[in-house]
Amino acid sequence: MTGKTPDEDDPALRARLDRLSDTLDRRRAEDAADKARREGGKVTSSAMSIGLRAMSEFVAAVMVGGFIGWRLDIWLATTPFLLILFLMIGAAAGFWGIYRIAARASRE
Amino acid sequence: MAAQGQALDPIHQFEIQRYIPIRIGGLDLSFTNASLWMLIVFGAVAALMLYGTSQRSIVPGRLQAAAEMAYEFVASTVRDTAGKEGMKFFPFVFSLFMFVFFSNLLGLIPGSFTVTSQIIVTFAFAALVIGIVIVYGFIKNGTHFLHLFVPSGVSPILMPFIVLIEVISFVSRPISLSVRLFANMLAGHITLKVFGGFVAMLLSAGAAAVIAPLPLLAIVVLTAFELLVAFLQAYVFAILTCVYLNDAIHPGH
Repeated sequence: MTGKTPDEDDPALRARLDRLSDTLDRRRAEDAADKARREGGKVTSSAMSIGLRAMSEFVAAVMVGGFIGWRLDIWLATTPFLLILFLMIGAAAGFWGIYRIAARASRE
Repeated sequence: MAAQGQALDPIHQFEIQRYIPIRIGGLDLSFTNASLWMLIVFGAVAALMLYGTSQRSIVPGRLQAAAEMAYEFVASTVRDTAGKEGMKFFPFVFSLFMFVFFSNLLGLIPGSFTVTSQIIVTFAFAALVIGIVIVYGFIKNGTHFLHLFVPSGVSPILMPFIVLIEVISFVSRPISLSVRLFANMLAGHITLKVFGGFVAMLLSAGAAAVIAPLPLLAIVVLTAFELLVAFLQAYVFAILTCVYLNDAIHPGH
């Protein structure tokens, strides 16, 4: 009796231990799934925030470029060449801004 | 009919109403519904932070946990984006985040007024942020701050274009910052109101009243989405403030 560990010869105890480890495994799996879900939510929301930033960055840059070109055109009486030129520069600035956002996001 | 038309008008909720008209030297300084809701937002933020920090229990209660969470969240955002030096701007970023977040959130209560759906409010915030960036950038770095517009390692032929592009992208910052917040709030509230209008119209359209619950369900889903947007917009506003402040602290990167 004394030389043996108790779980080898006590079927009731062994059954209880098995049940306990089963419960533990299930709880651990649930915790992991919960954590994954929470991380997934974080990833989605940060991806959404990057998307929102990229969109408005581009639109604002084109708008600012167009506005500068429009005012310069009126001032220098060169309608419509500077408007076209600055719209393109604005678009380039917008793409540059998006590239910077994307570069920062992929570095993290 | 006129009253009903007004109830279904999705823009009506953004109208400024003067509660106490005040005129000083040609300036309209009336106390409006926007002023009232700014005070309510300020009161809510102050109440949360004052109560949340007054208990100081080791095991925080609900409000204390909320206050601590807000602090931790903004502090880690500032530290990750603008570095240790950026922490001197923490009070500014925290106030900005809490004000924007609470006005977005309180604006979702039916019948309330959304302060951040007024472009002049969001533009004032954006102008404040960019103003601080420019002033602090010049105080701290002097003319070295202008290196923000002159990236290193660009061939001299391309330089004028790059500088022009950098200037345009800098000027577009306050515009994108303010328009994004304002447009998201405006669009979200109009969408909710339009779907609410669908419910009312379908209910008074005879047999079509059967499908009236569909837009009602859509409102429930949209409200959950708007809660996410309310948080996300405040977060984006705060993180972009940190990104721009980072430019002022470390120009030329």
